[in-house]
Amino acid sequence: MTADENPFGDLLQDYVVECLPLAEQVGDVFVELERSWRAGDPAEELLASVKGRLHTVKGNSAMMGLTPMQDVAHALEDACALLARASERRGDEAAALLIAGTGLLVDLIRTAPADGHGTAAADFVKQVNGFLAATPHRPTEPEERRQGDRRGSGSTGRTDGTDGASSVVRIDFRRLDALLEVLGEGLIQQSAFAELHRRLLRRVGPCEELGELDQAVVAMEKTLKRLESTLMETRLLAVSTVFGRFPRMVRDVAHAEGKRVRLVVAGGETSLDKAVLDRLNEPLVHLVSNAVVHGIEAPAERARAGKPAEGVLRLEASSVSGRVVIRVLDDGRGLDEQAIRGKAETLGLEVRSADSAHLHQLIFMPGFSTADQVSRLAGRGMGLDVVAGSIHGLGGTIEVDSAPGQGTTFTLSLPVTLAIVRSLIVEVDRERFALPLTHVAETVRAEPEAIREINHRGVTQWRGDLIHVADGGAILGTDAPVRPPRRFYVVMTAGAKRRGLLVDRLVGHQDVVVKGLDPALGRPDVVSGTTILGDGRVACILDVVRILDGARRAS
Amino acid sequence: MQADALPAAALHLLTFGLDREEFGIPVTQVREVIRVTEITRVPQVPPHVRGVTNLRGRILPVVEIRTRLGLEPAIVTPVSRIVVVEVLARVLGLLVDRVSQVTRLPADSVAPPPEEVVSAEADYVTGVARWDSRLIILLDLDKVLPLTA
Repeated sequence: MTADENPFGDLLQDYVVECLPLAEQVGDVFVELERSWRAGDPAEELLASVKGRLHTVKGNSAMMGLTPMQDVAHALEDACALLARASERRGDEAAALLIAGTGLLVDLIRTAPADGHGTAAADFVKQVNGFLAATPHRPTEPEERRQGDRRGSGSTGRTDGTDGASSVVRIDFRRLDALLEVLGEGLIQQSAFAELHRRLLRRVGPCEELGELDQAVVAMEKTLKRLESTLMETRLLAVSTVFGRFPRMVRDVAHAEGKRVRLVVAGGETSLDKAVLDRLNEPLVHLVSNAVVHGIEAPAERARAGKPAEGVLRLEASSVSGRVVIRVLDDGRGLDEQAIRGKAETLGLEVRSADSAHLHQLIFMPGFSTADQVSRLAGRGMGLDVVAGSIHGLGGTIEVDSAPGQGTTFTLSLPVTLAIVRSLIVEVDRERFALPLTHVAETVRAEPEAIREINHRGVTQWRGDLIHVADGGAILGTDAPVRPPRRFYVVMTAGAKRRGLLVDRLVGHQDVVVKGLDPALGRPDVVSGTTILGDGRVACILDVVRILDGARRAS
Repeated sequence: MQADALPAAALHLLTFGLDREEFGIPVTQVREVIRVTEITRVPQVPPHVRGVTNLRGRILPVVEIRTRLGLEPAIVTPVSRIVVVEVLARVLGLLVDRVSQVTRLPADSVAPPPEEVVSAEADYVTGVARWDSRLIILLDLDKVLPLTA
């Protein structure tokens, strides 16, 4: 926590960080409870499991003087206490009440300390009281308990911070960013030592001291690399922090759509850099709600197709060779190839000979929505083209696989972190640029006769396709009195887009520590950040996704 | 004319040169003065941004103050310097032809800017100081540096 922020702001942040997951977990349990009750399982232990979490939320809210949250949490406690005793009251009505209350609680906490929801909280408390009153033998115990709780709440609030057995500390993410900056400087200084060693060796020739210096420099590099990987691990968060929001969302969307959907989550412990996770939430929300609204059929339609009435939506994460793969699978009707074909034809695309895989790719194109009607929940302004754009922007890829009547699978492959990016360093007109390797398909020696000019644009044959090859100097605005020969081109890719970039020299591969763009630099289209190279010079990191977008606009 | 003998109402300035002119900015806004090493150009930046440089591991945007003031772009020489300033809570480097010194001036040596330099564009000139046979143009960095193009 930095000293220049007001202490209440920090406390409030602590409150949200601690209570939001608790409230979300309670919501998940209630969704599970509803399923269990419908299946005839009294699920006593589920009901009992929320008690501690609700109590903590209530206590913390009281401490912060956040009365609406305190009241809602308390009302939920009362309702749970009643349901624990009066098993005949368990059912859809009770479950809907609990789920609605938790939803309200989550919203209240998320927007704390905004004051606008006082009436919503009061309404909910009234609703719960009505529910409680409808029970013939309403016990008076909750009233007594209320007194006891108020007194006890202060101490229950911060159990995790003061628990002597806990080895977990909470840390402001900005501190980790600052640590990474320091590490980046260390890495640069280390390469300066290595460079000095090389120059000394050339000047004075091999000697014992230089040998020792070399060993010391190598040892230092190893230490810094270890520090780097430890620090990167510290920045990682479990995917479950994002997945955790989905049980309630899937339930709500399914409910609104008249569908029955079971969400199965796997691999929630897979971890990703917080910066990646933050930007992953929105695309995932879209894919998941899409699967419920457009993928999984209504129970009647499923029955006709000989499928169980309840659809299954799977959300899976796993680590695959240094990247994280997230899959969203549904067992619904699959992509409607006929509709995609029709849409493609109205857009003037040539799809007569297109196979399924090719047709499926088209859904990531702008304006390509095959939903018969715009659904209230899934249509929310973000098309699949935007989803794909966000994923590409993260240095990731997205693919779709679908079989008619059997379901659709979206597969996302993401880098574990955005803070350090493995890059290809290239030189154009004596300036150096970093190209993230996730967007580099190949580097090719530029034989003049292999690049032809069509319509004032360079094109070449690459892996059987004709691709545009642009001059690096033209795209990057470099300027040299005498233009050096462009000896290579780099084939850049993002999704299905590709383009060659002519450069003078390939300098090498390097893990670069990404530094943001200062606001004074405006918002350049072709650059996403900067980094410091081994020799201390600054290089721009190219924004391949936007460069390729520009390529499409221009053509 | 000892600086120590000045009354309390004194201006504490860092002065730097562009062509033959001498400019002054409040010392309180100056963090340090560094030699010019490599300045990396960044594509598509706003006008008057020369590029970025490595300030001990920090990326420092370097402003071409000369073109901002209507002069030709700077040619970097051995006496060129980057004046690292803090303006509106941001840290920027100003590329200047040379840095003279830190100067204390009596506040009453400052005259309002002459009519001919006062215009809508030049509202960043706050005054002209005559001192010790020198002429120092005082700049308001808060007005010079938001480079909203």
